[in-house]
Amino acid sequence: MSTSSSTPSAGSTPSPGDAAPSTSSTSRLAARGLTLAYEDRTVVEELDLAVPDGEITVVVGPNACGKSTMLRALGRLLKPRGGSVLLDGEELSRIPTRTIARSIGLLPQSPVAPEAITVADLVSRGRQPHQRWWQQWSEEDERAVTDAMERTDVTALGDRPVDELSGGQRQRVWIAMALAQETDLLLLDEPTTYLDIAHQVEVLDLVRQLNVDRGRTVVMVLHDLNQAARYADHLVAMKEGRLVARGRPGEIVDATLVREVFGLESVVVPCPVTGDPLVVPGPPRQSAAAGIPAPSGTLTSGKAPS
Amino acid sequence: MPAAVPTTSQDGARSGGGGSAAGGAGHTPRRAVLARRLAWVLAALGALALAALLSLALGSRSIAPAEVWHILLHGGDSNAAEVIRTMRVPRTLVGVMVGAALGLAGTVMQGITRNPIAEPGILGISQGASVGVVCAIAFAGVHSLSGYVWFAFAGTGIAAVAVYAIAARGRGGATPVKLALSGAAINALLVAVVSGILTTQAAAMDEFRFWQVGSLSDRDAEIAAQIWPFLLVGLVLVFAVARGLDALALGEDVAKGLGQSVATVRLVGGLGATVLTGAGVAAAGPIAFVGLAVPHIARALVGGDHRWLLPMAALLGPVVLLVSDVVGRLVMRPGEVPAGVMTALIGVPFLVALVRRRGVAA
Amino acid sequence: MSTVTRPAGYALARRGRGSWLVHKRAAGTVVVLALALFAAVVANLTLGESTVSPTEVVKVLFGQPSPDELVVGTLRMPRLVVGLMAGAALGVAGALIQTVARNPLASPEIIGVTHGASALTVGAMTFGVTSYAALPYLSVTGGLVAAALVYLFAWRGGLHATRFVLIGIGFSVALRSVTQLFLTKGDYLVAQQAKVWMTGSLNGRGWDQAGPLAIALVVMLPFVVWSAWAMRNVTLDDDTATALGVSLGRNRLLLVITGVVLASVATGAAGPIDFVALLAPQIARRVTRTAQIPLLSSALLGAFVVTLGDLLARKLFAPTELPVGVLTAAVGAPYLIWLIVRTSSGRTSRSRSGAAQ
Repeated sequence: MSTSSSTPSAGSTPSPGDAAPSTSSTSRLAARGLTLAYEDRTVVEELDLAVPDGEITVVVGPNACGKSTMLRALGRLLKPRGGSVLLDGEELSRIPTRTIARSIGLLPQSPVAPEAITVADLVSRGRQPHQRWWQQWSEEDERAVTDAMERTDVTALGDRPVDELSGGQRQRVWIAMALAQETDLLLLDEPTTYLDIAHQVEVLDLVRQLNVDRGRTVVMVLHDLNQAARYADHLVAMKEGRLVARGRPGEIVDATLVREVFGLESVVVPCPVTGDPLVVPGPPRQSAAAGIPAPSGTLTSGKAPS
Repeated sequence: MPAAVPTTSQDGARSGGGGSAAGGAGHTPRRAVLARRLAWVLAALGALALAALLSLALGSRSIAPAEVWHILLHGGDSNAAEVIRTMRVPRTLVGVMVGAALGLAGTVMQGITRNPIAEPGILGISQGASVGVVCAIAFAGVHSLSGYVWFAFAGTGIAAVAVYAIAARGRGGATPVKLALSGAAINALLVAVVSGILTTQAAAMDEFRFWQVGSLSDRDAEIAAQIWPFLLVGLVLVFAVARGLDALALGEDVAKGLGQSVATVRLVGGLGATVLTGAGVAAAGPIAFVGLAVPHIARALVGGDHRWLLPMAALLGPVVLLVSDVVGRLVMRPGEVPAGVMTALIGVPFLVALVRRRGVAA
Repeated sequence: MSTVTRPAGYALARRGRGSWLVHKRAAGTVVVLALALFAAVVANLTLGESTVSPTEVVKVLFGQPSPDELVVGTLRMPRLVVGLMAGAALGVAGALIQTVARNPLASPEIIGVTHGASALTVGAMTFGVTSYAALPYLSVTGGLVAAALVYLFAWRGGLHATRFVLIGIGFSVALRSVTQLFLTKGDYLVAQQAKVWMTGSLNGRGWDQAGPLAIALVVMLPFVVWSAWAMRNVTLDDDTATALGVSLGRNRLLLVITGVVLASVATGAAGPIDFVALLAPQIARRVTRTAQIPLLSSALLGAFVVTLGDLLARKLFAPTELPVGVLTAAVGAPYLIWLIVRTSSGRTSRSRSGAAQ
């Protein structure tokens, strides 16, 4: 139970020191006093967040906690009701959208492909921010698209229409499109949706590799807490539009946090493979109802042996 | 079904109103929604009663509401009683039936095609009725309103079968996009047929243009008697697929996952919508606005659940039509502006206001 | 320089620092359509009250002396030129509006252009304005004003496709009601004349209409070229497009303006030949199988359909001449139906549940 706090500690200025307990001291992308709302419903309130450069930041939280909403705001898909998102110290709303697109790549939660578009065509749309109507294709575009398709293993699908692909293939094509954009910052909204476990790991390994090889900064929303703990350098836990905890997964993930954020009783043990925290949910509820006494000691005790 | 979990979370985050109920799952929001829907349905019922009363009372010769009431209950043989019994009661009755039929038909067509601008007119169904009536005037020598009814019905049926048959061919069956496009193509073709006949037969044109506008004037008890059985059949068919339309709104795959036969929902719903359109257009001509706008107005009030949406559309359709008819009788006395013209002029401000106020979902 | 060819299905055209993507199948379609259009033009000029031999027609077209120059060049040509330009303009306008509205049913009619033009024109006719010098300008004005109102009312912190189409169709129906009001109030002769105008006709059109129309099209040409590129981005969903740095609001506004102006001037010159704008883009897209509607193919198809429709309009019930609007629908609709029946477009239904527009 280390850095977890209900109110964000960062004040009005996200000074590097207190913003994120990470090795990286700089942060190109940051949210300051961010309030987000749809119509008359406030989803995120007064949120401060600095995204550490060159690291993978993973946002977790229960459904409808505002994590996707926050990601959309970081990618200027949603205008803040209050506060601001800063890119290199400048307010996002003041930067031309095309300029942003050269720095921030974003994969929305459920993108829709134009009817009958082919895979190669869709991936090449990722080059849009680097093109003009009189310069529709360059060797640089060529290289970026080829590279993105190879990395996501969709080269063989090039000529296939996107709407004939399986969910997993389709997701990889979309990721390829975001990669082809070749931005330093990459925002991914649940990139593992629609994928089986092998492909989930594949995509997350790919993200990790991009981060290591090219120093890309990644922010992604994940549903699976264990995957989050495994791949995050910097974990952000949200609940009801507020930041509950952030920091290195090994330092902040424990049974107390899981209970506070998800309302779930669990045991946190070290992962036998990586040593990262592994969250094991408590026994299923119906067994308790059926009269099998729950081992209350293990359930309520916070820390697992580490 | 892989889509289930992400879909709900997305709705919670983005859809506004409904999300809080889904997230909290408490009893209060659900009850509040129910109360709101009930209130709107009651309000619509009240509006319908008022519209019917106005339709009986007002016209080139206005009769006081109290007197209308008296005549309805006790009869009488004054002039006023005669006017109400032989003219205004049938006319109001036809107005209620046509309004309900078109409102429902539009709702179902928008549900089936998942296209917010689908309606009997744009999908070529009412154009089929026009072809039937033009043929009746030009070739069969039929010149009475009640004579038109069967020709209009036949035209509607043929057009609907053609639209569906074209859309259903090829892989994937009658998908929304194919339905919409084949409807548009058939509509274009039928417009050409109608114009072709009218251009060569100038006399028919003069008669047809009055029918084509859509009106309730001179609709008598005979017409009401002709269409009510069809209205009944259409109602049964349409309400039978209410649940299916809800599922279809979530997408074809989800609908299948929920155990709905997509093809059956489309076929039965389409059949119901066709029968209703046929009844409505045959009785009053192609009244354009009701089928398009009433579903949207109803949706803005009670939401997208078809078990509420359909009754609401069935109530609001007659309100819009009757009010338009009454206003049409009053604005250019002693002449009449046809209801088909007034519906749009009266309804558009409501449509624009509602569409601007709420996020519209198809 | 090595061959740089991507994405699949596209060829690359380069010149200096510029480089353009050309869809191969669309390019082939353009060639075929251009040939078909030429054939239709020759046929249109050949057949009339008197038949002129096709060789003479070709001679006149290429500016060589010919005994039939009067009939072909002076009598038949002007009307055909109006038809060609109006058809092409409507083909492009339909493509742009369908793209922005994200709805294959959208057309200039849906967003108020046609009915705005009709309402003002028929209203003017009812009040005794019948001069052909004034009416075209009135209908252009009517179309532009109606579309501007629709855009204004549909704008609310952005242009939502569904809201745009719904408000557009609401205005359209209301304006049509106004037109009908004029029609039922006016006398029989005005009704007949208005009815002919409202189905669109090339009868009596000549250089007087062709000149202003040509000027308008030349002015709009740069916008159309830009649109061909911009459409690529607008076909993606809002979030993805924004993430790729497309300023959707500005792009959509420019696309709509281009489409509305084109549709308005075409309507002013030839009356509302509606179904061209509805059918041509859909046919073009289904033939070329591109992810967005191919503009050039759409324009050529529009011109082709109008040329063929005009030919049939004159010859089918000769000596009675039908309005060309009637015949364009009769030419285009069966072909679209055939395409729907033939192509296995089942894939469209597989879009995810969130894809409903």
